[in-house]
Amino acid sequence: MLLPKFDYHEPATLEDALRLLSEMGGNARIVAGGTDLLVRMKLKVEKPSHLISLRKIPRINVIIQRENHGVSIGAAVTAGELSTNELIMERFTPIGLAAARLGAPGIRNRATIGGNLVNARPAADLSPACMVLNASLKLKRSKNEREVPVNDFFRGPGETLIEPNEMLVSIFVETPPPWSGGAYIKLGSRKTLEISMVNVAVLLTLQSQNGPIVDAKIALGAVAPTPVRAFAAEEFLIGRQPSAKLFSEAGAIGVGMCEPITDHRGTMEYRCLMIETLTSRALNQAYQDAMTWKPLPV
Amino acid sequence: MSDYQVLNTRAPRVDGPAKATGQAKYTDDFKIPGMLYASILQSPVAHARILHIDASKARKLTGVKAVVTAREAGLIKYGVSPARYDETLFAHDKVRYVGDEIAAVAASDQDIAQEALSLIKVDYEELPAVFDMFEAMKEGAPQIHDEFPGNMNAEVHQEFGDTEAALRSCDLVVDHTFINKRQDAAFIEPHSCLAVFDHSGRLTLYTSTQVPHYVMRTVAMTLQIPVGNVRVIKPYVGGGFGPKCEATPLEMSCGLLSKVTGQPVKMTYSREQVFLHSRARHQFYAEMSLGVMKDGTMVALKNKAVLDGGAYTSFGIATVYYSGSLLGGPYKLKTMKYDGYRVYTNKPACGAQRGHGGVAHRACFEQLIDMTAEKLGIDPIDMRLKNIMTTGDITVNELDMSSLGMKECIEAIRSGSDWNNKKGKLPKGKGIGMACGFFVSGAGYPIYRSDTYHSTVVIKLSEDGGVANVMTGSAEIGQGSDTTMAMIAAETLGIKLKDVQVHSGDTDYSVDLGAYSSRQTLMTGHATKEAAEQVKSQIASHLSEELNVPVSSITFADGIVKFDGGPGNFEKLRSSYIKEHRGWMDPPTGEYLTFREAARMAYLKAGTIVGTGKYKPPRLGGSYKGAAVGTSPAYGCSAQIVEVTVDLETGQITIDRMTDAHDCGLAINRTSVEGQMQGSLSMGLGECLFEEVKFDSRGRVLNPSLGEYKIPTALDMPKVKSIIVESSEPNGPYGAKEVGEGAIMPTIPAILNAIYDATGVRVNELPATSERLFMALKDKSEAV
Repeated sequence: MLLPKFDYHEPATLEDALRLLSEMGGNARIVAGGTDLLVRMKLKVEKPSHLISLRKIPRINVIIQRENHGVSIGAAVTAGELSTNELIMERFTPIGLAAARLGAPGIRNRATIGGNLVNARPAADLSPACMVLNASLKLKRSKNEREVPVNDFFRGPGETLIEPNEMLVSIFVETPPPWSGGAYIKLGSRKTLEISMVNVAVLLTLQSQNGPIVDAKIALGAVAPTPVRAFAAEEFLIGRQPSAKLFSEAGAIGVGMCEPITDHRGTMEYRCLMIETLTSRALNQAYQDAMTWKPLPV
Repeated sequence: MSDYQVLNTRAPRVDGPAKATGQAKYTDDFKIPGMLYASILQSPVAHARILHIDASKARKLTGVKAVVTAREAGLIKYGVSPARYDETLFAHDKVRYVGDEIAAVAASDQDIAQEALSLIKVDYEELPAVFDMFEAMKEGAPQIHDEFPGNMNAEVHQEFGDTEAALRSCDLVVDHTFINKRQDAAFIEPHSCLAVFDHSGRLTLYTSTQVPHYVMRTVAMTLQIPVGNVRVIKPYVGGGFGPKCEATPLEMSCGLLSKVTGQPVKMTYSREQVFLHSRARHQFYAEMSLGVMKDGTMVALKNKAVLDGGAYTSFGIATVYYSGSLLGGPYKLKTMKYDGYRVYTNKPACGAQRGHGGVAHRACFEQLIDMTAEKLGIDPIDMRLKNIMTTGDITVNELDMSSLGMKECIEAIRSGSDWNNKKGKLPKGKGIGMACGFFVSGAGYPIYRSDTYHSTVVIKLSEDGGVANVMTGSAEIGQGSDTTMAMIAAETLGIKLKDVQVHSGDTDYSVDLGAYSSRQTLMTGHATKEAAEQVKSQIASHLSEELNVPVSSITFADGIVKFDGGPGNFEKLRSSYIKEHRGWMDPPTGEYLTFREAARMAYLKAGTIVGTGKYKPPRLGGSYKGAAVGTSPAYGCSAQIVEVTVDLETGQITIDRMTDAHDCGLAINRTSVEGQMQGSLSMGLGECLFEEVKFDSRGRVLNPSLGEYKIPTALDMPKVKSIIVESSEPNGPYGAKEVGEGAIMPTIPAILNAIYDATGVRVNELPATSERLFMALKDKSEAV
């Protein structure tokens, strides 16, 4: 299969990239790792006449710690880097774990967090992880910029709030409070190189090591046209004392949020049953992680 | 371990450095000046009458050199077995599956070739299509080939003894049904071919194939070129596993387009086209009844198979015979009855794949044995051992087990896996299962009826005597046959492995039927051995004359020649050799005459030293209809134990360990044998747990990529303990026989038996996905 013809641009600055993007309107696509876009172009699902590469743009592929209150992740940071970054793994655990489950090493070395979010596939690994961390997305165009909560970003399969002349440049995530823990579980048919049949990200915050749950965030992928938050299950958990029984009840509530489809990867019935099991498991894992929370060494 | 110098060692592969450094060239790497790029137009609909083809616009496109359709190609029917030639290069009256070939284009580049395809206008009258084999057998189903009413492509009915009467006499009869799914072989290198039709009317094809010989014959027949004017060269090949065992429309199109344009023409299938061409494992439905006595003695096996063949025959007629014939062993049965049906559907044709015809049927049978053992309260291993065949036994369908280390394999895995301490003692969710199987070491007969040799080999020494060139038409496709032949030649000649060069995969070198039915080690091996013996005896007789010693006193080993076990008196040979190579940096030294000196002396006397070897099996098998299928000069066999963990809350299956024993006769290269064993396990694991080619309601493949068609990753493969069992096969060269396919036979049922052990659920439909197992667990718990 051949790529359709297109013009390739490698701007050296973000400003140049944004200018190109606005000049070309809807005919251009940003290319970072290309692991989704180039495949879709070969399949002729997408036929942009221009590709704007991020590879020469400085600092768009770096992770910057913002004092102690958060982290800014450049849109072109690869899944491979996220999965091996100690800060991300320790404090923003769902993102680290999800990045580690994306594709296989070869794909992780190219695929970027920006691409994974903007492509907005219902089964994407990083979307639910960013959602439980309440990430905020910085969208830039040549004249101005805006910040959009990731929880409002997805509109449907492949559809987001992003405008044709906008670029996702970075993802900001606030550091979860002490005694927070995270988890990400993905169910596919084989152990790796999988597209999720169901995935679950969880962030759980305790009042203290043994204290009740003060905050809970649960996001589910591949169960609806966009990744979804299980708000009812989250509310159910807040204020309660964690236990396996509680998490299992929360899992059952989580299923209510989903409208999975039957496709060649799995049936609706199985997906619903798995949402329950995996949500409860992810909550248990996040709880274990929260209980072992430690201040970072200075 | 053995007296051999080269055989039975762990020799590094002769193609290792070229592959590891990227120097190995595969067909698509080739470029020739003036080369054109070709592409094939394939049907977008599953079943339709072709009303009209208009290629005029495509022909006018700048850069297009030729467009060929059935009009140019003609309507010569071809296929794999002459008993069922049912394909023409291009569809002319009807298309029968999404992907059926209609036309081919050659152009100056690939973009133009693609564009030209889009300019060919085909008018179709769509016909009702049928995609399910059981629907296809029903009355009133759409008819795919006029010549085969009821869509019945092939039927087999065989009975050995009175099965019904035997079943009535049994203490217990257990039934089982089983269905697998259509597979893709998922080789890494897609089919690729470069055709060069030259001014002397000779067609040379460089092509990614397992069978240069059959490609040569089929292409010569369909393109009407004398077979002597077709040469097929197989460069390095990135895997075959069966689907590359036949000539493809890609090869014929390239040949035809090169003939028409007078320019070299290359084409490579996209991954999607690999799925559309298919020719991989059929979907099999199996129904079986096993009759036994109370003590576990097997008496009668009645079985039926229905195969979804897709739109054409390909290897299918052999496949449907193999399903039945490969159940004849390795257990003693008194009677056996087999009814096989291969059915046409409007899907890509299925063909041969590793363990041809036997794998799914074996999976059903080996589960049935476990089910029976459980009812009788007998350990599955004891049940098998009670009925096991040993060397010299002949199966109920007259297959001769001239060597069979089946019992040894079972004992090896029993202790190797610590079965006795695990079986029946594992916690819920953990299970252990076993199974056995056997396979041919080369089909007893060629695919076309012929008295041809199955293999000939030429060994030619270099003029300095330092290098033995082994020339063979056999096909190295990644399985290691070049290394095997180099080792056999080196051992036989008594020289070092590094002094052998193998030139293979070229129909101009020798006759060889190719890499299928696990035949090359035994058959090409025999021919290589004979050619080497001939070379050696020529050298010996010249030495005997020159030095005036008896031939019987001369021995060759490890690159040196001994006389009565000692150095002998060879001074005049050495000084004349050194004189002829004055100034050279590598004069022969040491207290013994070297092979190089001896071979040089023979050359000086007789000219180029050439030895030839040949092999064909003796007449094999019974005289009943279809008796030829399943015959072989020798049979390899294996036994496996699989340990699994099942996540009872999700149905996810983790294979924890595999213990595998295979009797390959003498292991020529121990590392390669283990490689084949482990590769088979991986392929069987994939077929068992993940693999399925899926179609939409209009017959289009839903998952034609290696992203969505799931083969095992490194993380899915467990630790494997591979145990080589070496019987001595009287019909094999140095006692060697197959390992490439037999090793896949037990894998699926061993996994399924382990899943049953872990969960109490019997999976009777593949793949055993987490969803299928979870739903079965749920049904079971709700039923209680």
